[in-house]
Amino acid sequence: MQRISLAHGEGGELTHQLIQDIFIQSFGHSEQTQFDSAILAIPSQTIAVTTDSYVVKPIFFPGGNIGKLAITGTVNDLAVSGAIPHVITSGFIIEEGFPIKSLKEIVNTMAWEAERAGVNIIAGDTKVVEKGSVDGLFINTTGIGVMQKQHRLKPEAIREGDSVIISGTIGDHGVAILSARNELGLLTDVKSDCASLNHLIHELLEEIKGIRIMRDPTRGGLATALVELCEDFRITVEVDEASVPVRKDVQGACDILGYDPLYLANEGKVVIIVDSNDKQKALDILKNHEMGKDASVIGQITSCHIQSGKLLLKTAVGTTRRLNRLSGQLLPRIC
Amino acid sequence: MYKAIKVIVKGKVQGVGFRPFIYNLSKKYHLNGSVQNNFDRVVIIAEGEERLVKKMVDEIKKSPPKLAKINEINIHQIPLAHYKEFTIIPSVKNGRSIPWIPADAAICEKCLEEMNDPYNRRFHYPFINCTQCGPRYTIISRLPYDRSNTTMKEFPMCLDCEVEYEDPWNRRHHAQPICCSDCGPTLTLYNQGGKTLAENQSAITQTVDLIKKGKIVAIKGIGGFHLACDAYQEKVVDQLRLRKKRPQKPLAIMVKSIEVARNLCFISSQEENLLTSPEMPIVILKRKREGVVPPNISPGLSTIGVMLPYTPLHHLLFENHKLECIVMTSANPSGLPMLYSDDHLEHLQNICDNILTHNRKIDFPIDDSVVQCDAENAIFVRRARGFVPEPLKTTSNVDHIIALGGNQKNTFSVGKQNNIVMSPHVGNLENEEMIDSFEEQLHHYKEFLGVKEKYMAIDKHPLYASTSIATKLNRKIISIQHHHAHHVSCMEDNGLNKPCLGIILDGTGYGEDGNIWGFEFLYGDAKSFERLAHLKSTPLPGGEKAVKEPWRNAVGMLLYYWPQEGKELCMKLFPERLKEINIMEQMIVHQMNTPMAGTCGRLFDAISAILGICSISTYEGEAAIKLSDYMNRTELESTGEMYSYHLITHTPNQIQLDLSPMIYQIIQDKFQQQSITTIIQKFHNTLVSCCVQMVLKVVKNRPDLNRTVVLSGGSFQNVFLAREIQKGLEKEGFNVYTHKHVPCHDGGLSLGQIIIAAHQL
Ligand SMILES: [Fe+3]
Ligand SMILES: [Mg+2]
Ligand SMILES: [Zn+2]
Ligand SMILES: [Zn+2]
Repeated sequence: MQRISLAHGEGGELTHQLIQDIFIQSFGHSEQTQFDSAILAIPSQTIAVTTDSYVVKPIFFPGGNIGKLAITGTVNDLAVSGAIPHVITSGFIIEEGFPIKSLKEIVNTMAWEAERAGVNIIAGDTKVVEKGSVDGLFINTTGIGVMQKQHRLKPEAIREGDSVIISGTIGDHGVAILSARNELGLLTDVKSDCASLNHLIHELLEEIKGIRIMRDPTRGGLATALVELCEDFRITVEVDEASVPVRKDVQGACDILGYDPLYLANEGKVVIIVDSNDKQKALDILKNHEMGKDASVIGQITSCHIQSGKLLLKTAVGTTRRLNRLSGQLLPRIC
Repeated sequence: MYKAIKVIVKGKVQGVGFRPFIYNLSKKYHLNGSVQNNFDRVVIIAEGEERLVKKMVDEIKKSPPKLAKINEINIHQIPLAHYKEFTIIPSVKNGRSIPWIPADAAICEKCLEEMNDPYNRRFHYPFINCTQCGPRYTIISRLPYDRSNTTMKEFPMCLDCEVEYEDPWNRRHHAQPICCSDCGPTLTLYNQGGKTLAENQSAITQTVDLIKKGKIVAIKGIGGFHLACDAYQEKVVDQLRLRKKRPQKPLAIMVKSIEVARNLCFISSQEENLLTSPEMPIVILKRKREGVVPPNISPGLSTIGVMLPYTPLHHLLFENHKLECIVMTSANPSGLPMLYSDDHLEHLQNICDNILTHNRKIDFPIDDSVVQCDAENAIFVRRARGFVPEPLKTTSNVDHIIALGGNQKNTFSVGKQNNIVMSPHVGNLENEEMIDSFEEQLHHYKEFLGVKEKYMAIDKHPLYASTSIATKLNRKIISIQHHHAHHVSCMEDNGLNKPCLGIILDGTGYGEDGNIWGFEFLYGDAKSFERLAHLKSTPLPGGEKAVKEPWRNAVGMLLYYWPQEGKELCMKLFPERLKEINIMEQMIVHQMNTPMAGTCGRLFDAISAILGICSISTYEGEAAIKLSDYMNRTELESTGEMYSYHLITHTPNQIQLDLSPMIYQIIQDKFQQQSITTIIQKFHNTLVSCCVQMVLKVVKNRPDLNRTVVLSGGSFQNVFLAREIQKGLEKEGFNVYTHKHVPCHDGGLSLGQIIIAAHQL
């Protein structure tokens, strides 16, 4: 039994075996799974729920694989909302012929990452589809987190002068994925930054009262995440280009491809808007962690309660550029 | 015999001293009657000896005031009314005419004479002016044009000035910015820290010494601050480039006199006329090889932008003969709006060593105009000081329309009845500072002209700043294809309105199919157009990056045309870019950040990179400008030799130009050490030939088309292309038109846009 066959998805013996051999072995077997639903006690009145599907190409990349991403992505979505990630469910859609060895590796990574993040994987589902219906393997995860009163974010307190902090270098995941697609022949050894940030964020929320809001700048990159913050909370953010941490090789790859690192995906970064009185303390905490060692204050809020929020970038040559969401249109405007 | 006539003079006749001029003629020829500004014309009634009346009319025609431009003069016999005297009667200000905003003009000869006359009360006064000269557009806060509506309102006239102002015999009669050292503005020289070093005359002499010593001084002029340094000192020019962040783009120079200009450059009579006209633009001249101007004034080019002193202050800087040639470039860092207000002193301190400023406020900034000559034609490179805001008349109803122009070299156009007022060159709308400056100027024009727009004409490009500006203003939007706007801009510039052919050679414009266009053969008018032929598209790996890095363009073309051999060629041409070439190969295969483009600008870029002339552009169009400069360098008669190309007919209405044979041969010629000049000549000849052949093929398929052709788009700044394509087509019986009053590049787009909008409403 080397590869997944359609029979693995028919719900019979093979399915049972697959679940026993791969999922139960990695995710563990608890009394929660004896019913059709997982039944759990949540130590809070308020919970946070998030769901996300993972279809990354390639499935294995430097610094992780689709399984790791499926955990960290959902954990981080909960964490930046101020919730403590509690449990995760996961659904697999597997293409007929997918190597079982790879599936095992992915599932193991998920288990390991879940343990590190301190979440339980409590329910799952597996479907096998005909060759060509999906590209290898897709995973969906849903996460449930517990909200704590003292950790509630306070976007309503945002005011002029608040600082914007990014927890580390940007664009690593984007470039890692691009170079993992051998087709480009892009020679960098940048690893994806994909990581669960919940412990780090928990510490920040414990220690710092002045945190207004947080986001994980994934698809669309730091620029898109900030534009959304600006629009959602009707603020102007001014980012100083020179202070945004970018790895040399990420910048190099961008220079060749004509991309802007501000628009490349990150999977282990958080952008934080914080009372400027607390910015040093926040930086200190971040820099104490492996995942936050390159953290940097990258800008500030320059106006609040405006009609339409905007993101401005102070460039290295002294001009101000307005940044919009990733547009998908890469047409030159220069005549 | 006694006779009475009524003379109606139309054209640029208001605010140019026309009424005092007529008044003086009436005295000279003993005539009675009146003169009056009436909407857009001057109306004269004159009674007197028939012989003398005739003499006056002749003199109006022959020697009007220098600033005036008479378009039309009508003379009617009228019954005698027996006037007792000759009077200037108040203007009629209402009526169907647009408010008139005069342009700034260079100091006139008479003022210059007075300024140099030790017995004149305005001796060495740096703000001397009269009805024939001085600041206008830049100091007018609101209309009508009266002193109280200008920034001169802060300087109440002294008694002497007032007498001149009121005296109809005086050449300063109603000269709104009139002043003297008793009542007018003053000069101050600051050091970098903002400390006053000197004032007035001593400020000028110290400034001269500082420049002579190799310092960079910001000098407030008519439209904004310039940065000035001694153009003969190579080191300070380098320093200036560093501070301005402008490594390669040519810098304009101001020379003491036309004689000095002649030592440095070749000057035709046409060029001399332009240099000394009241507009006094920067004229692009061919430099003499033995000239003493260091090469870093215009790196890689055989030309220099030269202007003469146009304000009294400029003349005073050259007065003591210590200086004869200074760099005069706008004081803003590259890509930022002009600095013109004393509120900007702080910015200036970062870029210059000293500041020479004055307390006459500039209400609206304006750049120096730039023109270039080809035989008898003057070509606008930048339409600004001196030319703006003279309205352009049109037969289209452009009322209530504003056209926002393009993203580069932006100008906008405001419509009022049958007039179009085009803004001066605003610049590239790439950053917030420029967009703010654009919006400010647009607002100013709307106020000036009393226009409440209902329609906004914009380019179709979804990422142009104008698109979001128009969306924000919430008017009815008319989006216009880029090259259609170029086409109609040239039609309007020549008063054409029947459908015609257009060859649009351009940098990049958004095409209707989502690709980048810029080598287009169109047919149509303001209502509609057809795209009949164009250059085949090739990949632009890296998108906007490929525009800034011409070598990418070359690689895109080579890999696209010859997937195997092309790569070897690339590696041979750009050995230092092996890694990038490999990646680019994949970007093209996977269509990653690689739009498709068929444009003349990108073609020039590619050839420029292939020939090793410019592989990375530090300013817009650098690669193309440096390449075409080779065409000016030799006086060699062209042999007419050229490379091969294919015209591919898909359907009778869609012909494609395939220049890959030419590109291949150029590379072979380069590898065989052919002279670069020869290659470039052959390249130019090929382009001329293919444009002519393409048009012939188009009309062969479509004999119904009018045989009139307009030439537009930025690539026609290349005077060889414009001239030879015109010649070639004229030989085949076509009527060919090029731009006259507006630039062929994107600075002329808004004119085309506003006309198209008027016809598509
Ligand atoms: Fe254009
Ligand atoms: Mg997510
Ligand atoms: Zn004068
Ligand atoms: Zn006075």
